[in-house]
Amino acid sequence: MTEMRRLDIAGGVAGLRAAGDQARGFLGTDPVTQNDALLGSELTRIGAQVYGHGDTLLGYLPNVDQPRQAYLASTSSDPDALRLFTAFLGTYQRCTSYVATVPADSVAVGAFDACGFRRIGMLRDHQYRSGRYHDVVMFFATGEDVCRS
Amino acid sequence: MSFVTVRHFTEADIPIRTELLRESRFAANLTDFAVVAADDALVANQMRTIHSEHRVKRIFTLCGPRDQVVGFAWITSIDWRSQTCELSFGILPRYRGYYGAPAVAAAHTYVRDELNMRVTVNQVLAHNTMMHSADALAAQRKVTCAYDSYTVGEWRSACYWTETDEDFQAMRARLDDRRRELAERIRAMKHPS
Repeated sequence: MTEMRRLDIAGGVAGLRAAGDQARGFLGTDPVTQNDALLGSELTRIGAQVYGHGDTLLGYLPNVDQPRQAYLASTSSDPDALRLFTAFLGTYQRCTSYVATVPADSVAVGAFDACGFRRIGMLRDHQYRSGRYHDVVMFFATGEDVCRS
Repeated sequence: MSFVTVRHFTEADIPIRTELLRESRFAANLTDFAVVAADDALVANQMRTIHSEHRVKRIFTLCGPRDQVVGFAWITSIDWRSQTCELSFGILPRYRGYYGAPAVAAAHTYVRDELNMRVTVNQVLAHNTMMHSADALAAQRKVTCAYDSYTVGEWRSACYWTETDEDFQAMRARLDDRRRELAERIRAMKHPS
Protein backbone atom coordinates (compact mmCIF):
# COMPACT_ATOMS: atom_id res chain seq x y z
CA MET A 1 0.00 0.00 0.00
CA THR A 2 2.85 2.39 0.69
CA GLU A 3 4.03 2.07 -2.93
CA MET A 4 1.11 4.22 -4.05
CA ARG A 5 2.01 7.91 -3.75
CA ARG A 6 -0.51 10.72 -4.00
CA LEU A 7 0.59 13.54 -6.31
CA ASP A 8 -0.49 17.13 -5.86
CA ILE A 9 -2.11 18.89 -8.82
CA ALA A 10 1.20 20.23 -10.15
CA GLY A 11 2.78 16.79 -9.84
CA GLY A 12 -0.19 15.18 -11.55
CA VAL A 13 -0.01 17.67 -14.40
CA ALA A 14 3.74 17.11 -14.79
CA GLY A 15 3.12 13.35 -14.86
CA LEU A 16 0.39 13.62 -17.49
CA ARG A 17 2.59 15.90 -19.60
CA ALA A 18 5.47 13.40 -19.38
CA ALA A 19 3.16 10.48 -20.21
CA GLY A 20 2.14 12.26 -23.45
CA ASP A 21 0.00 10.12 -25.75
CA GLN A 22 -0.56 7.50 -23.05
CA ALA A 23 -2.35 10.09 -20.94
CA ARG A 24 -4.86 11.08 -23.64
CA GLY A 25 -8.33 10.58 -22.18
CA PHE A 26 -7.03 10.20 -18.58
CA LEU A 27 -10.19 11.02 -16.59
CA GLY A 28 -11.30 13.10 -19.56
CA THR A 29 -8.12 15.18 -19.81
CA ASP A 30 -5.75 15.44 -22.76
CA PRO A 31 -2.19 16.80 -22.49
CA VAL A 32 -2.01 17.20 -26.28
CA THR A 33 -4.89 19.69 -26.48
CA GLN A 34 -4.74 21.12 -22.94
CA ASN A 35 -1.85 23.16 -21.57
CA ASP A 36 -0.60 22.69 -18.01
CA ALA A 37 -2.87 25.38 -16.59
CA LEU A 38 -5.95 23.84 -18.19
CA LEU A 39 -4.97 20.31 -17.15
CA GLY A 40 -4.57 21.53 -13.58
CA SER A 41 -7.85 23.40 -13.53
CA GLU A 42 -9.69 20.43 -15.04
CA LEU A 43 -8.28 17.97 -12.50
CA THR A 44 -9.29 20.40 -9.74
CA ARG A 45 -12.74 21.06 -11.18
CA ILE A 46 -13.71 17.41 -11.43
CA GLY A 47 -12.15 16.55 -8.06
CA ALA A 48 -9.67 14.03 -9.47
CA GLN A 49 -6.80 12.54 -7.52
CA VAL A 50 -3.64 11.38 -9.29
CA TYR A 51 -1.34 8.73 -7.86
CA GLY A 52 2.04 7.46 -8.97
CA HIS A 53 3.22 3.88 -8.86
CA GLY A 54 6.63 3.48 -10.48
CA ASP A 55 6.26 4.98 -13.98
CA THR A 56 2.48 4.48 -14.00
CA LEU A 57 0.03 7.28 -13.28
CA LEU A 58 -3.31 6.23 -11.83
CA GLY A 59 -6.37 8.41 -11.59
CA TYR A 60 -9.24 8.28 -9.13
CA LEU A 61 -12.48 10.21 -9.35
CA PRO A 62 -15.34 9.47 -6.93
CA ASN A 63 -18.79 8.96 -8.40
CA VAL A 64 -20.71 11.65 -6.51
CA ASP A 65 -23.97 9.75 -6.95
CA GLN A 66 -22.49 6.54 -5.56
CA PRO A 67 -19.63 7.30 -3.16
CA ARG A 68 -18.45 3.66 -3.00
CA GLN A 69 -17.85 3.69 -6.76
CA ALA A 70 -14.79 5.20 -8.44
CA TYR A 71 -13.89 6.19 -11.97
CA LEU A 72 -10.36 5.01 -12.75
CA ALA A 73 -7.64 5.80 -15.27
CA SER A 74 -4.16 4.46 -15.93
CA THR A 75 -1.31 5.43 -18.22
CA SER A 76 0.18 1.95 -18.55
CA SER A 77 -0.59 -1.64 -19.46
CA ASP A 78 0.67 -2.87 -16.07
CA PRO A 79 -2.15 -4.83 -14.38
CA ASP A 80 -0.25 -5.05 -11.10
CA ALA A 81 -0.29 -1.27 -10.67
CA LEU A 82 -4.04 -1.21 -11.34
CA ARG A 83 -4.71 -4.14 -9.02
CA LEU A 84 -2.72 -2.46 -6.26
CA PHE A 85 -4.59 0.78 -6.88
CA THR A 86 -8.03 -0.78 -6.54
CA ALA A 87 -6.90 -2.50 -3.32
CA PHE A 88 -5.62 0.86 -2.10
CA LEU A 89 -8.94 2.57 -2.93
CA GLY A 90 -10.88 -0.27 -1.33
CA THR A 91 -8.87 0.12 1.86
CA TYR A 92 -8.63 3.90 2.13
CA GLN A 93 -11.69 5.18 0.23
CA ARG A 94 -13.97 2.19 0.93
CA CYS A 95 -14.56 1.76 -2.81
CA THR A 96 -16.44 -1.40 -3.76
CA SER A 97 -16.79 -0.98 -7.53
CA TYR A 98 -14.95 0.67 -10.38
CA VAL A 99 -15.78 2.17 -13.77
CA ALA A 100 -13.39 3.30 -16.48
CA THR A 101 -13.75 4.78 -19.94
CA VAL A 102 -10.58 3.98 -21.87
CA PRO A 103 -9.71 4.85 -25.51
CA ALA A 104 -9.90 1.54 -27.41
CA ASP A 105 -6.33 1.84 -28.71
CA SER A 106 -4.83 2.91 -25.36
CA VAL A 107 -2.15 0.76 -23.74
CA ALA A 108 -4.23 0.90 -20.54
CA VAL A 109 -6.88 -1.37 -22.11
CA GLY A 110 -4.56 -4.31 -21.49
CA ALA A 111 -4.31 -3.49 -17.79
CA PHE A 112 -8.10 -3.37 -17.34
CA ASP A 113 -8.60 -6.57 -19.35
CA ALA A 114 -6.03 -8.41 -17.23
CA CYS A 115 -7.36 -7.09 -13.95
CA GLY A 116 -10.84 -8.62 -13.88
CA PHE A 117 -12.65 -5.70 -15.47
CA ARG A 118 -15.48 -6.52 -17.86
CA ARG A 119 -16.08 -4.64 -21.09
CA ILE A 120 -19.64 -3.45 -20.59
CA GLY A 121 -19.91 -1.21 -23.61
CA MET A 122 -18.22 0.52 -26.48
CA LEU A 123 -18.77 4.21 -27.16
CA ARG A 124 -18.39 4.44 -30.91
CA ASP A 125 -16.55 7.45 -32.38
CA HIS A 126 -16.54 8.99 -28.93
CA GLN A 127 -13.19 10.79 -28.88
CA TYR A 128 -11.51 12.92 -31.55
CA ARG A 129 -7.73 12.95 -31.79
CA SER A 130 -4.98 12.59 -34.38
CA GLY A 131 -7.33 13.49 -37.20
CA ARG A 132 -10.21 11.06 -36.60
CA TYR A 133 -12.80 9.81 -34.13
CA HIS A 134 -11.86 6.89 -31.89
CA ASP A 135 -13.90 4.31 -29.97
CA VAL A 136 -13.83 4.29 -26.18
CA VAL A 137 -14.29 1.13 -24.11
CA MET A 138 -16.36 1.17 -20.91
CA PHE A 139 -15.07 -1.13 -18.18
CA PHE A 140 -16.66 -2.21 -14.91
CA ALA A 141 -15.44 -4.33 -12.00
CA THR A 142 -16.29 -4.90 -8.37
CA GLY A 143 -13.53 -5.09 -5.82
CA GLU A 144 -14.07 -8.86 -5.70
CA ASP A 145 -13.71 -9.15 -9.50
CA VAL A 146 -10.31 -7.52 -9.27
CA CYS A 147 -9.24 -9.68 -6.31
CA ARG A 148 -10.15 -12.85 -8.23
CA SER A 149 -8.17 -11.84 -11.35
CA MET B 1 6.51 14.46 -41.55
CA SER B 2 6.91 18.16 -40.81
CA PHE B 3 10.16 19.37 -39.30
CA VAL B 4 8.22 22.03 -37.40
CA THR B 5 6.45 20.84 -34.25
CA VAL B 6 3.68 22.52 -32.30
CA ARG B 7 3.58 22.67 -28.52
CA HIS B 8 1.68 24.64 -25.90
CA PHE B 9 2.84 28.21 -25.28
CA THR B 10 4.42 28.52 -21.82
CA GLU B 11 5.52 31.29 -19.47
CA ALA B 12 9.13 30.73 -20.59
CA ASP B 13 8.11 31.72 -24.15
CA ILE B 14 6.66 35.10 -23.14
CA PRO B 15 9.89 37.16 -23.52
CA ILE B 16 10.48 35.75 -27.03
CA ARG B 17 6.92 36.47 -28.15
CA THR B 18 6.95 39.92 -26.57
CA GLU B 19 10.06 40.79 -28.57
CA LEU B 20 8.33 39.51 -31.71
CA LEU B 21 5.21 41.61 -31.04
CA ARG B 22 7.42 44.71 -30.96
CA GLU B 23 9.48 43.83 -34.05
CA SER B 24 9.06 46.49 -36.75
CA ARG B 25 7.74 44.28 -39.59
CA PHE B 26 5.37 42.47 -37.24
CA ALA B 27 4.04 45.81 -35.96
CA ALA B 28 3.49 47.13 -39.48
CA ASN B 29 2.06 43.94 -40.93
CA LEU B 30 -0.11 42.61 -38.11
CA THR B 31 -0.67 44.93 -35.18
CA ASP B 32 1.35 47.59 -33.42
CA PHE B 33 -0.35 47.55 -30.02
CA ALA B 34 2.75 46.10 -28.34
CA VAL B 35 4.92 49.05 -29.34
CA VAL B 36 3.04 51.34 -26.97
CA ALA B 37 2.17 48.74 -24.31
CA ALA B 38 4.20 48.43 -21.13
CA ASP B 39 6.18 45.26 -20.45
CA ASP B 40 4.05 44.23 -17.48
CA ALA B 41 0.84 44.68 -19.48
CA LEU B 42 2.14 42.47 -22.28
CA VAL B 43 3.28 39.82 -19.81
CA ALA B 44 -0.07 39.94 -17.98
CA ASN B 45 -1.95 39.67 -21.25
CA GLN B 46 -0.07 36.52 -22.29
CA MET B 47 -0.27 35.02 -18.78
CA ARG B 48 -4.03 35.47 -18.91
CA THR B 49 -4.16 33.55 -22.18
CA ILE B 50 -2.09 30.70 -20.71
CA HIS B 51 -4.13 30.43 -17.52
CA SER B 52 -7.70 31.38 -18.22
CA GLU B 53 -8.62 32.10 -21.84
CA HIS B 54 -8.65 28.53 -23.18
CA ARG B 55 -12.20 28.80 -24.49
CA VAL B 56 -11.60 31.97 -26.48
CA LYS B 57 -7.91 32.13 -27.32
CA ARG B 58 -4.94 29.77 -27.41
CA ILE B 59 -1.31 30.37 -28.29
CA PHE B 60 1.04 27.68 -29.56
CA THR B 61 4.80 27.67 -29.90
CA LEU B 62 6.26 26.50 -33.20
CA CYS B 63 9.59 24.70 -32.85
CA GLY B 64 12.29 23.72 -35.34
CA PRO B 65 14.15 20.41 -35.54
CA ARG B 66 16.39 21.25 -32.58
CA ASP B 67 13.37 22.30 -30.49
CA GLN B 68 14.34 25.93 -31.03
CA VAL B 69 11.44 28.40 -31.06
CA VAL B 70 10.86 29.59 -34.65
CA GLY B 71 7.56 31.39 -34.07
CA PHE B 72 4.06 31.29 -32.70
CA ALA B 73 0.53 30.53 -33.88
CA TRP B 74 -2.61 31.58 -32.10
CA ILE B 75 -6.29 30.93 -32.51
CA THR B 76 -9.02 33.44 -31.77
CA SER B 77 -12.72 33.85 -32.61
CA ILE B 78 -13.07 30.19 -31.64
CA ASP B 79 -16.46 28.62 -32.22
CA TRP B 80 -16.04 25.16 -30.68
CA ARG B 81 -19.51 24.03 -31.69
CA SER B 82 -19.20 25.07 -35.31
CA GLN B 83 -15.53 23.99 -35.35
CA THR B 84 -14.16 27.21 -36.76
CA CYS B 85 -11.50 29.65 -35.62
CA GLU B 86 -9.20 32.37 -36.87
CA LEU B 87 -5.59 31.17 -37.12
CA SER B 88 -2.73 33.68 -36.97
CA PHE B 89 1.04 33.38 -37.20
CA GLY B 90 4.16 35.24 -36.21
CA ILE B 91 7.53 33.83 -37.29
CA LEU B 92 10.72 35.14 -35.66
CA PRO B 93 12.69 37.34 -38.11
CA ARG B 94 15.70 35.00 -38.39
CA TYR B 95 13.46 32.06 -39.33
CA ARG B 96 11.24 33.77 -41.90
CA GLY B 97 11.34 32.33 -45.38
CA TYR B 98 12.69 28.85 -44.72
CA TYR B 99 10.36 28.02 -41.80
CA GLY B 100 7.30 30.03 -42.83
CA ALA B 101 5.42 27.48 -44.96
CA PRO B 102 6.20 24.40 -42.81
CA ALA B 103 5.22 26.33 -39.69
CA VAL B 104 1.88 27.26 -41.24
CA ALA B 105 1.30 23.64 -42.30
CA ALA B 106 2.19 22.30 -38.84
CA ALA B 107 -0.18 24.70 -37.09
CA HIS B 108 -3.01 23.92 -39.53
CA THR B 109 -2.44 20.18 -38.99
CA TYR B 110 -2.57 20.56 -35.20
CA VAL B 111 -5.67 22.73 -35.24
CA ARG B 112 -7.49 20.25 -37.51
CA ASP B 113 -6.18 16.91 -36.23
CA GLU B 114 -6.20 17.62 -32.50
CA LEU B 115 -8.58 20.53 -31.87
CA ASN B 116 -11.05 19.24 -34.47
CA MET B 117 -11.44 22.54 -36.29
CA ARG B 118 -12.91 22.17 -39.78
CA VAL B 119 -12.64 25.69 -41.13
CA THR B 120 -10.04 28.35 -40.38
CA VAL B 121 -10.46 32.02 -41.13
CA ASN B 122 -7.44 33.93 -42.44
CA GLN B 123 -7.01 37.66 -42.16
CA VAL B 124 -3.94 39.23 -43.73
CA LEU B 125 -3.36 42.93 -44.18
CA ALA B 126 -3.12 43.66 -47.91
CA HIS B 127 0.42 45.06 -47.75
CA ASN B 128 1.70 42.10 -45.71
CA THR B 129 3.81 39.89 -47.98
CA MET B 130 5.72 38.14 -45.20
CA MET B 131 3.92 34.83 -45.82
CA HIS B 132 2.02 35.37 -49.07
CA SER B 133 3.04 37.12 -52.27
CA ALA B 134 0.79 39.99 -53.38
CA ASP B 135 -0.44 37.80 -56.26
CA ALA B 136 -1.25 34.85 -53.98
CA LEU B 137 -3.06 37.15 -51.59
CA ALA B 138 -5.13 38.61 -54.42
CA ALA B 139 -6.00 35.13 -55.67
CA GLN B 140 -7.04 33.80 -52.27
CA ARG B 141 -8.98 36.65 -50.73
CA LYS B 142 -12.75 36.47 -50.72
CA VAL B 143 -13.33 39.78 -48.99
CA THR B 144 -11.33 42.97 -48.81
CA CYS B 145 -12.05 45.22 -45.90
CA ALA B 146 -10.83 48.79 -46.27
CA TYR B 147 -9.75 50.68 -43.14
CA ASP B 148 -9.52 47.36 -41.28
CA SER B 149 -6.54 48.29 -39.12
CA TYR B 150 -4.37 51.27 -38.30
CA THR B 151 -0.74 50.26 -37.92
CA VAL B 152 2.43 52.33 -37.77
CA GLY B 153 0.64 55.54 -38.78
CA GLU B 154 -1.38 54.20 -41.73
CA TRP B 155 -4.80 52.78 -42.41
CA ARG B 156 -4.54 49.24 -43.77
CA SER B 157 -6.91 47.15 -45.83
CA ALA B 158 -7.32 43.50 -44.88
CA CYS B 159 -7.91 40.42 -47.01
CA TYR B 160 -10.13 37.70 -45.58
CA TRP B 161 -10.70 34.14 -46.73
CA THR B 162 -11.63 30.81 -45.22
CA GLU B 163 -9.82 27.51 -45.54
CA THR B 164 -11.61 24.16 -45.46
CA ASP B 165 -10.04 20.72 -45.03
CA GLU B 166 -9.98 20.35 -48.82
CA ASP B 167 -8.25 23.71 -49.23
CA PHE B 168 -5.70 22.68 -46.62
CA GLN B 169 -4.98 19.34 -48.32
CA ALA B 170 -4.47 21.16 -51.63
CA MET B 171 -2.10 23.60 -49.93
CA ARG B 172 -0.13 20.71 -48.41
CA ALA B 173 0.12 19.01 -51.78
CA ARG B 174 1.48 22.21 -53.34
CA LEU B 175 4.00 22.51 -50.51
CA ASP B 176 5.12 18.90 -50.96
CA ASP B 177 5.48 19.40 -54.73
CA ARG B 178 7.60 22.49 -54.17
CA ARG B 179 9.79 20.63 -51.66
CA ARG B 180 10.22 17.73 -54.07
CA GLU B 181 11.14 20.10 -56.92
CA LEU B 182 13.70 21.84 -54.74
CA ALA B 183 15.21 18.52 -53.62
CA GLU B 184 15.49 17.39 -57.26
CA ARG B 185 17.15 20.67 -58.24
CA ILE B 186 19.67 20.31 -55.40
CA ARG B 187 20.34 16.70 -56.40
CA ALA B 188 20.90 17.79 -60.01
CA MET B 189 23.37 20.47 -58.87
CA LYS B 190 25.33 17.91 -56.82
CA HIS B 191 25.35 15.25 -59.54
CA PRO B 192 25.23 17.05 -62.94
CA SER B 193 24.54 14.67 -65.82
